[in-house]
Amino acid sequence: MADKRTMTLNLTDQEMSLLEELSARRDVSKTALLRQALRLYQMVEVRLSRGEKLFFEDEQKKKAELVVV
Amino acid sequence: MKNRIRIIDNATGQPVEAELFDEVTVEHFIETQQEWRPIVLKAARQLAARGSHQLIPQHFHWDWTTKAPELNVLANTFYGIRYENKLQGLMKLETVGQFCSCRLPEQAGNALVYVDYVEVAPWNLKPLMSSLGEKARYNAIGSRLIEAAVLKSKEEDCKGRIGLHSLPITESFYAKACRMTPVGRDPAKQNLLWLEYTPEQAENFLTGAR
Repeated sequence: MADKRTMTLNLTDQEMSLLEELSARRDVSKTALLRQALRLYQMVEVRLSRGEKLFFEDEQKKKAELVVV
Repeated sequence: MKNRIRIIDNATGQPVEAELFDEVTVEHFIETQQEWRPIVLKAARQLAARGSHQLIPQHFHWDWTTKAPELNVLANTFYGIRYENKLQGLMKLETVGQFCSCRLPEQAGNALVYVDYVEVAPWNLKPLMSSLGEKARYNAIGSRLIEAAVLKSKEEDCKGRIGLHSLPITESFYAKACRMTPVGRDPAKQNLLWLEYTPEQAENFLTGAR
């Protein structure tokens, strides 16, 4: 297991509520959820930097490109 | 990370100490292409010539070197097993992504660790080595890799939950030997069978593996 470092995170009430809701839905701790979010962010960044595009597809197979800034 | 693990030497039936590691590099991928792939292809040709098409490894075309760009993405974790200075098995896990959600009704939507690729060195696969008139050398490589996946899941707070798409030839290994729950065929992934562990099943597997 890699060494870990600790940080303090300041969140608004809404952000904290969302974090609690998502971590409960995924059945992981808030820390684990934030680590997953960070990795997801990196994965998206890496793939976009390779020239790939990120799409959402609805039930009618209609695609919408997500522009990440 | 480097851990001592036990695999079975089929020549003696006795356990031997191998090394499980997660510092996988592109050199390991090249090693699979140089050391594994020629044997896999030779065995596949033999099996095809005998008409034993159902035994031809469905992963014969895999090329780990194509995964080199994924080595530095934190969502991915790679594990290898080394013994006698040879790579005996290789696995890629994803802790985030499209397939990192449970599908079993009792844990649907919960986070899991997805086992994206598992490959055991061809000289450890009985059907392949039989086709070449040889015996498989080491056993329990696949089980040790699944054990590592479960431990990674626990480390990631996924409580041992893992999921994977199995090739048809390995379905019985995951369902019977590992006792994972077959959930159903996935049209989004070549209609492969999706199997999953609950935390309890994962713990049972770890207990049995020790």
